[in-house]
Parts: sequence; C-alpha cells; structure tokens
Amino acid sequence: MPLINLPTFAADMLADFETLGTLRVDTPVIQPAEPFLDMAGEDLRRRIFMTESETGKSLCLRPEFTIPVCLRHIETATGTPRRYSYLGEVFRQRREGANEFYQAGIEDLGETDVAGADARAISDAVAILKNRLPDAALSVTLGDQAVFEAVVAACGLPVGWQKRLIHAFGNIARIDTLLTRLATPQPVTGLSADIEALLSSGDDATLVAHLDETMEATGYSTNASRSPREIAARLKEKRALARIALDGRTLDLLREFLSLSVPLADAPAVLFRFAEKSGLTLDGALSRFDARVAALGNAGVDLSPITYRAAFGRPLDYYTGLVFEVTLAGSSAVLAGGGRFDRLMTLLGATTHIPAVGFALWLDRIEQAMSATGKAAR
Amino acid sequence: MTLTIALPSKGRMKDDASAIFARAGMKIAAVGNERSYRGRVEGVDDIEIAFLSASEISREIGNGGVDFGVTGEDLVREGLADADARVEFCARLGFGHADVVVAVPEIWLDVDTMADLGDVAADFRARHGRRLAIATKYWRLTQQFFSAQHGIQLYRIVESLGATEGAPASGSADIIVDITSTGSTLKANHLKILSDGIILKSEACLVRARKPEHEGDPRVAEIIARVQAALS
Repeated sequence: MPLINLPTFAADMLADFETLGTLRVDTPVIQPAEPFLDMAGEDLRRRIFMTESETGKSLCLRPEFTIPVCLRHIETATGTPRRYSYLGEVFRQRREGANEFYQAGIEDLGETDVAGADARAISDAVAILKNRLPDAALSVTLGDQAVFEAVVAACGLPVGWQKRLIHAFGNIARIDTLLTRLATPQPVTGLSADIEALLSSGDDATLVAHLDETMEATGYSTNASRSPREIAARLKEKRALARIALDGRTLDLLREFLSLSVPLADAPAVLFRFAEKSGLTLDGALSRFDARVAALGNAGVDLSPITYRAAFGRPLDYYTGLVFEVTLAGSSAVLAGGGRFDRLMTLLGATTHIPAVGFALWLDRIEQAMSATGKAAR
Repeated sequence: MTLTIALPSKGRMKDDASAIFARAGMKIAAVGNERSYRGRVEGVDDIEIAFLSASEISREIGNGGVDFGVTGEDLVREGLADADARVEFCARLGFGHADVVVAVPEIWLDVDTMADLGDVAADFRARHGRRLAIATKYWRLTQQFFSAQHGIQLYRIVESLGATEGAPASGSADIIVDITSTGSTLKANHLKILSDGIILKSEACLVRARKPEHEGDPRVAEIIARVQAALS
C-alpha cells in the first residue's frame, strides 16, 4: 500500500542516503516498550502509545528509530563498522504537531575514528538539509559532554559530585540548583549513636556486618536491592562530603565554562585560553575536540553557521560526547538533531563496546521550512 | 438544569461529607432505601446527589459527569492531567487526611532527601543492571514529582494495586510512593519518608468541574459559599 502522506521529498532523501553509502533498514512499527522506557526513563511513558500483547508484554508504537536500529544490529550480529539509514513513521504525543510523523536518519555504528565519524554525522545532516533547503540559512548548535566531564574532573571535585554534575549536564536549571547546593555544606543527620560510633571507628567490616544483620532481622533481602556494602560506602562518602563545600573559585570557573557560547571556529582557542587561565588540565578532551573541528574542516563543512555552546547536552546517561542540532537561522524548530551515544549499544545488550553516532531528521518540520522558504514540495 | 453533587458512597468519608453538608444547611436524604445510590437535598428540587466510590467521583468530575464532588485531592490529581485547569478545589474539608509520600527502606541510612535518591538512581543501572524500581499506584504524581520537580528520570514504575508498602521487603521494588496518614504502616514495614519526600498533603475536598454553564449560576456560588461557611 503506498503511503499517501509520505513527504514528497522522501524519495530524494532516500537517494541521498544511498549516495552517502548507507544501508537502508526498516524496523517493525510495533516494538517492545521496555527498551525505550529503560533508556529514556519513565517520563517517556506519557508520550508514547502503549499497548499490551495477549500475554501481557508491554508493546508500543515505534517512538523513534535509534533504539530499534541498534537492537536490530545486535540481533542480526552483523559486524562493524556499519552505517544504517532509515525513513519511516514514528508515533509520539507532542505539544505541537501531529502525533504520527516521519523521521529519517543515519546511525553510524562501530566506527573507531571518532572525530571523523562525528564530523561525517554533522556533515551528512547539513548536506541532506541543504539539498531540501538550498536557499535557507541553517544554524547549528554543537555541544560536547566529554569537555564538560574533563572540566569537572580537572577541578578536582569529589567523585560523587562529579557524577551528579555530569548526570545533570544538559539541563541548565538542574545544573544551577546543583551548583548552589554544592556551595553549601550538607550535614548528615539522624544517624543513631551506634552507627555514628561505627563510622567514627573506621571499622568498615563491622559497619557492613551491622547493616547486614539489621536487614536480615527486618526481613529485607541483602542482594535484591542495594547491598549493605553499597549503603555503607555511600554513607561514608556522604559524611566525608558533608564537611566540605564547593569553593567560590571552582563555582565561578564552572559557571564561566557553562556560559561559553562561541563560533565553533574560535572554540578551540577559547577553550585553550579557558584551560590556561583557570589552570585546568583538559588536554585529552581538548585535543579530541580540536580533532573534530579539524575533521569538519576536512569534510568541507562550512564552520561559520556552527556555534559551540558549552552547556548544550542531553541529560540521558548513554550520551557521551558530541551533541548537535540544526535549525533554520533564527528559528527554534529543530530540523535535525544528533549526537554520540557510545554507551547505548552495551546498555542494549551488545557484548562488545560499539562506538555510535547518529542523527534524526524531522520530516514534518523540514516540509514546513520548505514551504516557509518558498521551496514548497513539488 | 439540575446540579449533581457526587458524595462518597460508604464509610467514614460518607458520614463526614454528609455532616458537613448538613452543617451547610443542605441535609442529604437518600432516595428510596438507605443503600440507594441516589439522594437529594431536603427541601431542594434541583440538586441531585450521586453516591459513588471515591475514585469514580474524581473520574466523573474530570469528564464533567457531575458538577461537584467530595473526594480526596490525591485521587483528583492522580486521575486528571492538568487537574487545575479542569476542576476547581473549592474547599478543603478537614477529613480524609492522607499524605502521598516517597518512602525508602529505613536501612538506607545514606538516603534522606530526593537529592540522595537522585544519586542512587543515577548509579543504579551500573550497579544492579536495572533501573531503580518504584512500587506505586500513583503513576502521574510520581512522574511529576520525580521528573519535573526533582529532575530524576532514571527509574521504573512497578504498578502496585495493593500492599504497596510490602514491595521493598519482598524485593518486587526498591522504594515506594504511597499514601500514609499516621505513618504506622510504613514503620511496620521498616520504611522511612524522605525529608523532602512529601508529594502531596491530601484531604477530602469539595471539587467543582469547570463547566461553562456554571458561569453566573447563583446556585453554584451558593453551594461553595455554604460549604465554606460551614467549615469556619
């Protein structure tokens, strides 16, 4: 059955995918819901269309392609590197726009030349958009979680704080709340005298044994959820952190870093100066950042419409490095968005580490942009 | 036009609601026998009483099937997306108190706040190969509180339709979101409420469905005014 609501430029886009040397794949519309909820969190539940199989298994209408394409790759046990492309309908409840709409995109799995693969993802996304919107001015926002992680590590912050900050990266309001909270000591209260004594004595084994006994006595399994060892370790860490607070200088440094927003062409120099001035050692992350900028240049990508925004990221725990979004200049409607998700494949069950980068194109918004810029579909 | 007020059909909630309406000068009488599901206000012809279960009441107010209802705020906020746009909480009636809370095992000595829980949730997958599991029947309230208010995304809800407080000990979930009035059930199950873990302080409320035909209807304003006066 021909899909009559398919955007008229779909065939051209598929031709682009072929020219770019990708392998087109399709995935079933009805997908197991678990992987999506597991990766993106419960918040997604309200936005996807869920149902149940006869046997009670949670199913959903495909809300996006990345997870199904990655799962398919793992199931078919094809070797890497592989570049997949897709184009099809996805189903999601949105505040604006229809609940079923088309997405297309490329997932690049297993390419070990990270800078090259990152650059190719941006270059492909921009090229495909330019083919649809030849006269439009595009604007690209680029972020890099790895640089933020390096800054946080170089500040010498306790590991627990580093994790919290990295976890909140990409959500400006949360980072802000977190920084304010870290700047004030958070005392640990409400511990009983015997626990206090055990903590002060430094006798970890006895503390763990005590927790173990209490759990047994109160009917809690010591291995179904958090273990006595895990609780004791975090309690000790929390007590150690309770006495200290984020110092003013580090707070200013982090705030200064997060406020950086510069043309990508200038970003290597700006980041270098920031590292030098603040005395932070960011060498590895910065050289990888620079390599990506160089690779973009080598791929012939015009850097002038690309802005590096230090605070730009996605608060999902499988994103690891590059994130980017493409819009029409002066618009906030994202036409293409992507990034590097090196942790996703193993989370989904891959037995080896498979680096991955990709992007998705929003076909309905591209169609609107085409009519808005006077290049309506033929 | 007849106005319909939905009242709890049994138990303490029914008695307490009837008592307030009586104090407000609207004495409720059952139509037919005592166990009838229909009632009326003595001396008033154009107000009808529907005796329903508490959860039906919140649903009926949500879809406009009744004009007013007496039910727990927790049920309304859990049952309706965007509750404040669809209903008006006209009066808090001072009975049916219950807090919707986040409770974790007492033995989690390192977890006192939602921020602590956020740390634990962030690490949970790496340590245990699965997300932190929350047993609850309050899906919506949990999602709003965890995601929107505390930025915690990485957890899974395990639906629980009864004896939620037993889930952590039985291993079917790690923590719970549930209602508590005295906290004794939580204590008996060795659970503690997080210091900032009160999602909602709920009690029975007089709730009005926001309907356009209520505009300028003096009876609507009078019912609200009378109930409010009976409380003061």
